[in-house]
Amino acid sequence: MTPPGRTSVLLLRLAAPLQSWGDRSMFNRRETRPEPTKSGVVGLLAAAAGRSRHADVDDLAGLGLGIRVDQPGSLLRDYHTVSDYRGRPLLSAAVSANGVQKPTSPAKRTHVTQRFYLQDAVFLAAVEGPGELITALEHAVRHPAFPLSLGRRSCVPAQPLVLGQRTGALEDVLRAEPWQVTKAVRNRWGRRNSNAAHVDLPATLDDPAGDEIRDDVPLSFAPTNRTFTTRRIRHTYLAAPTGLTPDPDHPPATGGHDPFALLGW
Amino acid sequence: MPYLSRIRINPLRAQSRKLLASPRAMHGAVQAGIPGEPDQSRTLWRLDPDNPHRPQLFVLTANRPDWSHLVEQAGWPDADGEHYAVRDYAPLLRQLAPGRSFAFRLTANPVQNTNRPDKPTTRQQARIDAGDRRGFRLGHRTAEAQLKWFLTRTLRWGFDIPAAPDLDGIHDAAGEPPRDIRIIARRRRSFGKGSATGKEAHVVMNSVTFEGSLRITDPDILTERLLGGIGPSKAYGCGLLTLAPLPEKE
Repeated sequence: MTPPGRTSVLLLRLAAPLQSWGDRSMFNRRETRPEPTKSGVVGLLAAAAGRSRHADVDDLAGLGLGIRVDQPGSLLRDYHTVSDYRGRPLLSAAVSANGVQKPTSPAKRTHVTQRFYLQDAVFLAAVEGPGELITALEHAVRHPAFPLSLGRRSCVPAQPLVLGQRTGALEDVLRAEPWQVTKAVRNRWGRRNSNAAHVDLPATLDDPAGDEIRDDVPLSFAPTNRTFTTRRIRHTYLAAPTGLTPDPDHPPATGGHDPFALLGW
Repeated sequence: MPYLSRIRINPLRAQSRKLLASPRAMHGAVQAGIPGEPDQSRTLWRLDPDNPHRPQLFVLTANRPDWSHLVEQAGWPDADGEHYAVRDYAPLLRQLAPGRSFAFRLTANPVQNTNRPDKPTTRQQARIDAGDRRGFRLGHRTAEAQLKWFLTRTLRWGFDIPAAPDLDGIHDAAGEPPRDIRIIARRRRSFGKGSATGKEAHVVMNSVTFEGSLRITDPDILTERLLGGIGPSKAYGCGLLTLAPLPEKE
């Protein structure tokens, strides 16, 4: 996937109040995947590099991608209705002989649409590729040509977005990076888990031998010719450092409620 | 002298499937472990599915019970380890003192009594029309009502619920800090009662499991509640309040 020579890994922290990563949404129901898609990340990099919708993205789509779920967030369903402000019926997909869209028959005045978002999620995305390209992309994300967003234009990323470059294998880089959550979340987790030094986080990695297939590799973002192809992926758990120091006097609790602990053995 | 027992249940045995599906069957199995006359004293039990593949049954009995029938029918009779544990409950009762804090867990059946239901069923309407003034026992079905049911009664049970320590600076609509209590399970149970047919022979109950920390205000009332149980449906796995040490803070 990457040519011989020095490869480098760019780490992006994808965190925001709202994110939305659709891969096969159609019509009035726009869903989100529980984690970022490759087309979403490639689109973000292409926007940062100032590429137009018609530009070639094969070099970006060929980069290796790994996503670590630092905080899964929760699903938000956004209910919309759409009407014509003049009170006219909405237009149908069919066109007249003149090529003008016909009104719906029977007249339909309101579209009900639903959009889904991830609230309060934090992901760590690692992009692996040749050193020069990764350096150029890091500069581009720090000085973006177009506004950057997390899956949808309204989802503005929170800072810091770029964590910098690392060298080494994609999986090792993702495993070594500290847990990207707020101090309050980390401390609350630590109280429940005896300040364990590592936390197991789910991750999805590009892997030609993987047993699952995702249909989210962009071939073209051209508005009239959006095409995608598939990639093979693999799921795993990575033990990431939490930054907490375990107390040897208090071994990890069972987590359950033990009424026998007070009865004296 | 009260005893607390913990029995491990093998969910793959035919008998345990029956016990796990029907609180009525479990009540029978629990009562079978006590040699004395039935209804002599209150027996309380609770099923703790922290790990659903290894459920644990807690039973509080007035006399020393024997659980070999449960081990033979619904346990691992030939396996290593402790099939069941029975401990004297008195050491805990001696520890109760005003101001002491414990972690607690309770499965209860929150209900309200009213003789004027908002939407009476045909059966209830018939009773109202017949001039019967006896109240109806209606289950609380929303988490909000179930939590309110618990929090308005804690002082009557001899304890109160302190504010949650790790939610500093958060207030509800009334400006109060949130209490250290969680609903960890809510379940609508529906099971048959005996072989008789008809509505009377069917039980529907909403059980809810609370977990959190409590601070003792009156040890005598609390002792009474620990031994006598809290709320209705005590035969069906509700009402057993258990105390445990508070989890270690940082």
